Parts: sequence; C-alpha cells; structure tokens
Amino acid sequence: MANRLRMSRIVALSLGAALSCLALSPAVAQKSIITGGFDVGPGGFPGNFNPMAASAGFTWLSTYYEPLVVYDAKLERVVGALATGWQVAPDKLSYTFKLAPDAKWHDGKPFTSADVKFTIGLAKDTKAGSVFAARLAAVKEVETPDAQTAVIRLSQANAGLMDTLTKLMMLPAHQLSAIPVDAIAKHEWWSKTPVGTGPFKFVKYETDQYVELAANADYRGGKPKVDGLVNRYFKTTASAAAALKSGEVQVSYVEADDAKTFAGNPQFRVVEGDSYVVNYLGFNGDAPMFKDVRVRKAVMHAIDRNAIIASLFGGAAKAASCAYVADHLVPAGVDPYAYSPDKARALLKEAGWDQINGAKPITLLSYYTSPQQVNIMAAMQAMLAQVGINVVPKAVDVPTYNGTVYAPQPDWTQYPVVYAGIQIGPDPSGINVALNEKQIPPAGGNVARVRDAAVTAALDAALAEVDDNKLASRYQDVCKAMNASVPWGSMWVAKRYGVVSTKLKDMVWLPAPAGGPYDQKAQNWSITP
Amino acid sequence: MALFILRRIGAGLVMLVALSMLVFVLLRLAPGDPVDAYIDPSAPLSPTEMAETRARLGLDRPLPVQYLAWMRQVAAGELGYSLQRNHEPVARLLSERIGPTLLLMGSGLVIAIIVGIAAGIVSAVNRGRPLDVALSVPAFVGISSPAFLTALVGLFVFSVILRWAPSGGMRTPGLPPSTGDLLRHLVLPACLLSIGHAALIMRYMRASLIEVLNQDYVRTARSKGVRERWVIVKHAVRNALLPVVTLIGSTLGAAVGGAIFIESVFNWPGMGLMLINAVEARDYPVIMAATLVVGACVLVANILTDIAYAAVDPRIKIA
Repeated sequence: MANRLRMSRIVALSLGAALSCLALSPAVAQKSIITGGFDVGPGGFPGNFNPMAASAGFTWLSTYYEPLVVYDAKLERVVGALATGWQVAPDKLSYTFKLAPDAKWHDGKPFTSADVKFTIGLAKDTKAGSVFAARLAAVKEVETPDAQTAVIRLSQANAGLMDTLTKLMMLPAHQLSAIPVDAIAKHEWWSKTPVGTGPFKFVKYETDQYVELAANADYRGGKPKVDGLVNRYFKTTASAAAALKSGEVQVSYVEADDAKTFAGNPQFRVVEGDSYVVNYLGFNGDAPMFKDVRVRKAVMHAIDRNAIIASLFGGAAKAASCAYVADHLVPAGVDPYAYSPDKARALLKEAGWDQINGAKPITLLSYYTSPQQVNIMAAMQAMLAQVGINVVPKAVDVPTYNGTVYAPQPDWTQYPVVYAGIQIGPDPSGINVALNEKQIPPAGGNVARVRDAAVTAALDAALAEVDDNKLASRYQDVCKAMNASVPWGSMWVAKRYGVVSTKLKDMVWLPAPAGGPYDQKAQNWSITP
Repeated sequence: MALFILRRIGAGLVMLVALSMLVFVLLRLAPGDPVDAYIDPSAPLSPTEMAETRARLGLDRPLPVQYLAWMRQVAAGELGYSLQRNHEPVARLLSERIGPTLLLMGSGLVIAIIVGIAAGIVSAVNRGRPLDVALSVPAFVGISSPAFLTALVGLFVFSVILRWAPSGGMRTPGLPPSTGDLLRHLVLPACLLSIGHAALIMRYMRASLIEVLNQDYVRTARSKGVRERWVIVKHAVRNALLPVVTLIGSTLGAAVGGAIFIESVFNWPGMGLMLINAVEARDYPVIMAATLVVGACVLVANILTDIAYAAVDPRIKIA
C-alpha cells in the first residue's frame, strides 16, 4: 500500500513537471522583434549569406546590406538607395553616382566610392563566385573622383545595368580586401561577422533555424522602430503557413492554395503580387519535330490556357502571347492563339505531323514539382493528346533539370520540350540570356538552342537602345517577333502570394521575383503587441 | 563475446566502405551536380561560368581520383568540406547535428517503447475485450500512416489549432537557451515520431504476449496459485519481449527515415534536415559523411541488439 502510494506520488510529480514544462511559455520578450519567413518560397534563398552569389533572397539581404539603387515598392522605377542621385551619359557609356554622405558601415567606418569600386571589381571576378560577372562584363572601369562620387564606365551600352545594380549589394572594402579572392565566396565572414550599411545589423545565424538582426541605431534613414528582425527558415511552405496561423511569424510567402485560407481573416492581410515569371513550353531547337513553325503554333492552339488559368490558377494568372504580358510591352495585333483544337489539327496535318512524329511519346521535362504545376502539366498533356501530340511530363528536381539541359554534350531527346519559367521583369531584358541565338551554350543560357534570327535581332536592338523613350517600343518588337515565330509556347504569367499579420505596421512587403530588392523601408516597420 | 563483437565490428567496417562506394557511384550517376543545384533555372548562367565553378570545386577531376581523395580525407580523420555551406568542415556540421537528431530519435524511441510495450501488454491481457479494440484501432492507424502525413496533421492540430506546441525549430529566436524551451520544441515532434514505432511495438508485444500466455509454463504458474499480475510481469512479459527487442533494433533504420520527415516539417536542425538539404544541393561530401554516420549507427544498433538478446534470454549464447 505504502509502495503504491509512493509510486502514485512519483507519477503525479513527474506528470506535474512535464505539464509545467509544456505550459511554460517562453519568457515574455522585452524587445519588439518582427519574425518572418523572409526566405520562404521562390523569392527566398535560405542559407545563402553571400549577396554576390544570390540569385534570390534580396528581401532579407537588403535589410542589412544595401545596393546603390533599388526598385520602388511598385517595382516600376529605380530609386536611390546608397546613391542619392545619378546621371547617365547620352551614349549610356558612363553612369555617375553621387553617394549618400552620411552612409556608414555597421562598424562605424564611412561608406565611400572606394567601396563601390571594390564591390564592382569583386562582382566582375568569376573567381569570387559572383553570379554578376556576366551581367557586369560591359563595365570597363570604375572611377572614384572623390569619396562621394563613383563613375561606372562601360565598353558598350547595357540596358540591363541599372537592374543589375539594384541587386548588387555594396560590400566593405576595408573588411573584405584582405581575404583572397578565390576564398571569398565561401568565407565564414558572410555568416559570422558580415557588415553592411542597412537599417539592421547582423547578430547571429542559428544553423538552419533562423538569422537574427538587431536595429542599427546609427542608420542614416533613422533608427528602426523595432529592436530586431528574425528570419526563420522553413523547409516547406506548409510549415511556414502553420507558423503564421499559430502567430509565431508575422510575414511569409504562401502558396496560392494557402492564401485562400487566410482570406477574410482580420488577423492577416493577403498580399498579391506579380510573379514577373513567364511560364513557357520551350521547344528544343535541335528537336526535329518542332522545327516547323506550324507545329509550334498548333501547340499554342491546342492548349486552352484560359481554362487552365480559371480552373488551376483560380484566375490568378494572365495568358501570354509572347514573353511579356504588361500592356506597354505587348503591341496591338499580336495573335492571341485562341484555343482551337480544330485549327491545331489542321496545322499539324498541313505540316505532316504523322510523318514528323505522329503518336510517338515526347518527353516534357520540367523542374516544377508542386501539385499545382503537376496538374497543369497533366492538363496540357490531355489537351495536346486531343490533337495528336503525345507529350509525357517528367517533373524532376532542379539539379536534375539543370544537369540535363546544361550537359556539356546535350541530348535533345532528353528534353525535346521543357515546361519552365523565366524572369521577365521588372527588367524585360531577362529573357535575352535564354532566347538570343548568341547565348547558345557555351556563350550563355539559351539551353533550348533557340535559333531565331528575327527574335535575336529584336533583342539585340532592345539591349543596345540608349533612348529610354524607345525602350518599350523595342521590347514590343521582341514580343512581335516571338509571337510570329513562336520559339517558345508562351503560356502565362501567374500571381504570387504572401501573408502579413495585421500586427505589423508600415510593413512594405511583396512576393517579388527573387525577393526584389525594392524600397522596403525596413526602418519604419513596427509591430503592435 | 569479445571475439563476436570484434568480428561484427570488422564486418561492419567492410560494409561501411562498400556503402561509401555505392553512395559515391549512385550520387555521380544521378543527374545534376552541386553547380546545377546552385542555378536558378529562371535566371540562367552561362556554361562557361558553370565550368569555372566546377573546376574550383574539384568536380572536373576523374571520379576515381575524387573518391580516393575523399577516402584519404576520411582516413586522416577529416570528412571534407561542404560545397553548399560556406565551405564548412563536414565533421563540424555533423557534430552540430548529431546531438539534435539523437535527442529527437532517442526521445521518440523511448516514448514509443514505453507506450508500445505498455499498450501491447494491456491489449494482450484484455484480448477480445473493448479495451483491446480501443487500443488496436489507433495502432492500425499509426502503422498505416506515413510519417510525413502524421507530421503535417500533428503540426496542424497541436500547433495551429490547439497551440500547445511551437510549429518548428529547436529554440525560440531571441531567447537564451533553456531546458524548458527545448522541451517545448521537442515534445511534439518526438511524440509524432514515436507514433508509428509505438503502434508497431504494441502489435508485436500483443501478439507475442498472447502466444506466451498460452504456454504450459504460464498455465503451471497460474495453477500453482501465483498472482495473475506476477504471472504476466515475471513470467510472460520477459519471454514475450524477445521479438520486440529484435523489432526495436531493426526499426532504428526506419527511425532515421522517419526523423528525416519530422525534421523537415518541424525544421528540427538535425542530421535528417541536413541530409535532405544536402541531397537537394547535391552536396556530395555532406551526403557521403551523413550516410556513413547513419550506416555506422545502424550497424552499432544491430550489434547492441544481438547483445541485448543475451541479456533478455539467457538461453541464447553468442559465439
């Protein structure tokens, strides 16, 4: 009896201890901290701390680093960040930037034109592991007439330079110049003691869990209204959505399906943004079955894009007739390639599809593996089958996709057609690397081996255009050329979603492509208890 | 016994070398490499830039040279450097990750063993009664539920709806480390990890105990007037444990698989999460090292299981 009593007490005490552990709420934080899934989704790049290696993740990186210039919060025009103003020479061969005189690095040293020269020099050097090297190839030199002036001189005009500069975070020469260039890409400086000029300072990285920043009280734009930011990592977007609902994070990218579950909830604001990514069926230029333009046009007519947008995107996408969908880049009179299986069949018959390929299966390779995109590929497969084109979707992970299309000896039978996406904005020149004939590997990233003289000429003209007023017209020419010869089966540009807690005030956040960067004014963000 | 253990360790080492070769070859046969994993397909790089990066990472060397270089590092006590994570030493990454994984897996297995054995005993003793059915139904559900589904449902119910536990991570950002905070983050993933194993152990324990309870020596004990509780605990359970011990030893490998899902969903910073990130990034040195460590753990667990046989059943001799 005594034993049983003693055992009961032990059990009761153990249960009590366990329950108190569970009930133990984290100590009430004295500091005001905004926690977000800033690197969730396609705009994020979790685990990357090196801005020179960043193809995404700019929302977070630009809370502690800053570029010279940045897009405004509508992603429409370029505004100053570390540069307070700039002048572009009429021939577009030199750009003179005036730098913010009161900008300081987090260690107190002043930001000067020497840092601009150092950063651009480093970013041009492939040994530094920079992804900007090709985009900055036209930069001949950077002059520093004084500490607050930097002049970038080009060997040839480059319409994409300002866009590149929005993503090029300035780096401290006094901290990094001592590190050998070939060791800098993977140096622990990035994730241990980085120094930027932004409104927040790096505190620590808890491996694969979160990154913590503290307010930079000396920020030239004013001391941030919160004490710190935390960027929590999530392996899946579903986990991030769960953390939003449980109140552990206040902002994150979410999938379209998850966004619906937040709609109408007064605790959250759903943010809809343009993906600036056009999805397309990329016909391999080496694949005999797609060499006839009538076959490519038949594919366009065979797919009911509006039905897919209505049923699988829930209406949150816009059908594309070329790479662009923005009104100012699409000229009047382009063929919308309306859904018409009969027309598709007629075109195929005219081209002699039975002799070209007939019912033989054609691999449709894609790196899209989300349920939504897999369903879209299944829908396209069914629609194409109705007109006699037998595509077989093959969704693989990104390394497998890249390993196939970037193979040194590419085999077109492995990817006669791909379903992929490419950035078309805010700078519309992004498609050049994948569509210009001069970019066929090893020169560039035209992995589908598109050889289209009219499209190449239109792209070349757009890139060399020095008159800003004529740029839109140049890209309309690109659109027109693409629409006529259909080197890609341009499908649609979809929306992206994010969710922001209504506890956050003055939060400028959008699900931007690559995470921006944009003028997010992080120093003004605040959170109510 | 010592000779047996030495022999098993020797065989284990050979198996580990074979495993490393197999993983190395399979990784290289898989399409895509660390550079391919690095590129955003919507913002392509030029193949020239990719080739330079490959050369910098030593990926342009012949495969046997790469394997031998890796083996040389392992023999020297190093495991190489991560290609993905700022060139961090893999040994350091592993040493940081093995603790959280052991904590999660250990907690999950302890819960599973306690709950599974206890429920199995109760179920067997109450065979055919409502309590048996009440325990068996959730056990079948637990066995047939995949780990990722269990994890997601558990996350939704206990974190989102009930808000009993955090939705992920191992610590609350911004707070100093504390045991209470760690337990708050551990309890849900550990319990969810234990579900499948507990259900399996319960079913094995139930079946084994029912069989033992029908043995002659149990009937003899009862006829001698030994109390029923004593018959079950002293005579039946110990004998019924043997297949359960085998099961526990063999489920360690499955526990690693389960931990990978649980760590992914809960962002638990263990080896499972590291391994899945490494596979996505084709981070060869990390994949190789993590596979070796997991393989070594499973081998050690199997040796310990063999030793545990002897402890549970003195009739078994290890020669």
